[in-house]
Amino acid sequence: MKSCLIVDDSRVIRKVARQIFDTLGFSCEEAEDGKVAHAACLKKMPDVILLDWNMPVMNGIEFLRALRREPGGQTPVVVFCTTENDLNHIQEALTSGANEYIMKPFDADIVRSKLSQLGVIEA
Amino acid sequence: MDDLLREFLTETSESIAQIDVELVKLEQNPNNPELLSSIFRLVHTIKGTCGFLGLPRLEHLAHAGENVLGKFRDGELPVTPLAVSLILKSIDTIKTLLAVLEATQAEAPGNDEELIAELNAMAEGHLDHVATVSAPKEVHMDDAPVFPANVPDEHGFVPVPASETGKAQTASAPAPDAKKQEVKPMEELGTKESAVASQSIRVSVDQLENLMVIASELVLTRNQLMQILRSQKDSAFATPLQRLNHVTSELQEGVMKTRMQPIGNAWSKLPRVVRDLSLELGKKINLQMVGAETELDRQVLELIKDPLTHMVRNSADHGIEVPADRMQAGKQETGTILLNAYHEGGHIVIEVSDDGKGLAISRIKTKAVQSGLATEADLANMTDQQIMQFIFKPGFSTATKVTAVSGRGVGMDVVKTNIEKIGGTVDLQSTEGKGSRFLIKIPLTLAIVSALIVECAGERFAIPQICVVELVHASAHSEYHVERINNTPVLRLRNRLLPLVSLRRTLKLGEDKDSADTAFIVVIQVGSANFGIIVDRVFDTEEIVVKPVSPILRHIELFSGNTILGDGSVVMILDPNGVATRVGEIHAAESSAAKQNARQAQGRTDGKQSLLLFRACGAAPKAVPLSLVARLEEIDRKTVEYSDNKPVVQYRGKLMPLVSIDVDAKMAGEGTQPILVFSDQERSMGLIVDEIIDIVEDRINVDLSAQRPGFLGSAIVVGKATDVIDTGHYLAQAYQDWFGKEQEGAFGEDSLHRVLLVDDSPFFRNLLAPLLTVAGYTVTTADNAADALKLQEEGSVFDVIVSDIEMPGMNGFDFAAAVRREGGLWSGVPFIALSSHATPRDIERGRMVGFTDYVAKFNREALLATLQQTLSSVKVSA
Repeated sequence: MKSCLIVDDSRVIRKVARQIFDTLGFSCEEAEDGKVAHAACLKKMPDVILLDWNMPVMNGIEFLRALRREPGGQTPVVVFCTTENDLNHIQEALTSGANEYIMKPFDADIVRSKLSQLGVIEA
Repeated sequence: MDDLLREFLTETSESIAQIDVELVKLEQNPNNPELLSSIFRLVHTIKGTCGFLGLPRLEHLAHAGENVLGKFRDGELPVTPLAVSLILKSIDTIKTLLAVLEATQAEAPGNDEELIAELNAMAEGHLDHVATVSAPKEVHMDDAPVFPANVPDEHGFVPVPASETGKAQTASAPAPDAKKQEVKPMEELGTKESAVASQSIRVSVDQLENLMVIASELVLTRNQLMQILRSQKDSAFATPLQRLNHVTSELQEGVMKTRMQPIGNAWSKLPRVVRDLSLELGKKINLQMVGAETELDRQVLELIKDPLTHMVRNSADHGIEVPADRMQAGKQETGTILLNAYHEGGHIVIEVSDDGKGLAISRIKTKAVQSGLATEADLANMTDQQIMQFIFKPGFSTATKVTAVSGRGVGMDVVKTNIEKIGGTVDLQSTEGKGSRFLIKIPLTLAIVSALIVECAGERFAIPQICVVELVHASAHSEYHVERINNTPVLRLRNRLLPLVSLRRTLKLGEDKDSADTAFIVVIQVGSANFGIIVDRVFDTEEIVVKPVSPILRHIELFSGNTILGDGSVVMILDPNGVATRVGEIHAAESSAAKQNARQAQGRTDGKQSLLLFRACGAAPKAVPLSLVARLEEIDRKTVEYSDNKPVVQYRGKLMPLVSIDVDAKMAGEGTQPILVFSDQERSMGLIVDEIIDIVEDRINVDLSAQRPGFLGSAIVVGKATDVIDTGHYLAQAYQDWFGKEQEGAFGEDSLHRVLLVDDSPFFRNLLAPLLTVAGYTVTTADNAADALKLQEEGSVFDVIVSDIEMPGMNGFDFAAAVRREGGLWSGVPFIALSSHATPRDIERGRMVGFTDYVAKFNREALLATLQQTLSSVKVSA
């Protein structure tokens, strides 16, 4: 079973995302900010990370940069979540090591198609 | 409700509460980038989540708000009060929308085009300023069903730290802090909560309540077991029960802790309230909050939240002055409202104080008379402290104009009622011009209270410890014993009359025991009222678990609940409030006792007086001013001895002469004899009377036709012709016999000092003249200043002048000025003024016109002392 780490400061969004990833057959972990996520990754690198941009303590981009510097930190597929306000951040995210971005609000179909594009799941 | 929706509502309301607080902080500190990004992020998250739940209206509004905040953050827009008001307005609208969402589970129809347009205009930097000047006033915080900020119970959840012990919590909190600083300094913001969040789970409040009830039951059972154990020495159960005891205590404590929330939760709304108010009222107000981390039961927290808000609002509205007035009063422009919470002996004390203008006693008086709560005469007899209590009466508001802020129909009476409902008390201190201070004392929890267990007529009762001031053991032989005034028991406690309630009589458990028996008196304070409850026995204090009274007994206001004691017996918990109201007469007794205290303290003599009515020497009632009577006693006739053929009695280790009004009266037979004790310094005198009738308040107009010595004359008191006795006459009888030598000693070497006494009141002249005569002075009286001045013209010489101030015609000030006139015969004579009320200004004025000294009218001891002092200093200087 593939694992997924959902990183978002909103419990609601984590809940929504978890439901989606559950149906896609992932085992899910949650983190409410970049720092918690970072700690979780050091314990066990997940296969996929769904990453929010705006978070307290450590935001998405900082987490991403820290992650990619860790040994084995290159493996997880990172899907960046963004809203239309953050459009100019997409470039920054992709250069910092994100594999793909996804617009909020997302639903199961969008997530599935992104993940299959990335080859994490079969289409 | 949909799980997700509920989660959303909880999360968003928490965010909104945080935004509220942070926006107010931002306004004071507009360039703080951390605050800005935190607020931005919170709004951003709200917007993001709305998208998932399909809430377009909320999403659009949050989006527009986020835009403006984004510009703030990027420095493209300055943070102005106007802009913050606009953001706050959108937050309020979001709150309203959330409330509808919660109630109907659907987004409210309609749109917020106008507000969004305003926000967008703001974001683009060309907002018409005039358009939003009214913004803060449109904020109807209280009208809109405000979504509870950070308050869990509305949706049934409360955040609970996963690890319940405080230690684990504090241990976990600093650790991430320390690491965080290594990561990056700019991430110091609002991190604590989220760090703890991972260790928290959400538990429904019902579940916690249930847990609490079960734990309480366990505590009761434990108590029973411990009780049994105490009677059985060397039981095999001793050790395991001891262990059970500890575990139960820990469990109870743990469960209690889960219900605890920092009081800051109830305060979170306040900075916003104060901010809005200061804008609306044009005042500068600084809200200081100390002790926000103080924890108390969430049930209590809920109940005090509204009263607190109201009090802070009151302080801002009525207390703090506008900057101009403050400057004029020599204060800083910015007023301060201080909220301070701390624990004190199982209670939590919350202090709401301001440095504003304080309570205007005169306005309260006017208002009290207007609303028929008291008469002018009542007020005249009240202390300022008592007058202030009027603000807690229903329908009382001293605000001359009803602003949008006050005048919401909630008064201090509601505040007081709400606080008293949870077993708390409100105390008020105020100094005009300096500010006011409210002290709220509430129990930490309602579930378990510390109570005093007492017994009456074989039944046990619990009295909440919070109301108990002290315990007095009264017996016939001790310093304290129960006395009766007009068949109402009272206790003389530190020179105050304390009205007593017999629990036995109130609960109809039987007739009162003989008052000669020993009794325990539990001194209770409820609000500003003090009274004592007479009980048979006092056991000890116990932590009791309060169980509500069953519905069938609920209408009995004397009880607030019941509990099961350690021995398994069920006892009722007395509600001191209920006892106070049930025993209606207590108020009358209390207030008259208080009035009397006030009178004695201040010596007020405006018209009405407290008179002690008694019967002696004939059927006609006799009266004497109560203020002259030191004590009422009943003596055993057998204890009367005779010395020099005069009756005396041993009283407090001394011989006290007894004087009878009826010269021929014989002290014969058995039984007790009521006497009035008059005391002067060390000496006492007993006046024998047949019966003490009553204490009344009345005006006395003495008809001076009385010819008999010992009587001032007759007056109509409560509709009956009453002889007013001349206390001085009887004092003189006793003093001449018993203390004559001493008196001579005091002044013996000098020729008698000549005193001129000027007072318009025959009553006072007749009271003071004999007193002064007895003390060794030669007294001449005059009933007005003009007559006195005539004496001067006639060439009379006096060593000292004693004069009243309030007199018809020429008053004391003018009289003194006339006496002091250059070249006058009396210009060097010491002048002592008698006054019933001396304000510092009066004293100053008196000094200007030449008063040597001031003496309160009723204070005879002080008068004598002052006379002696004045004369001896004159002698020294001469």
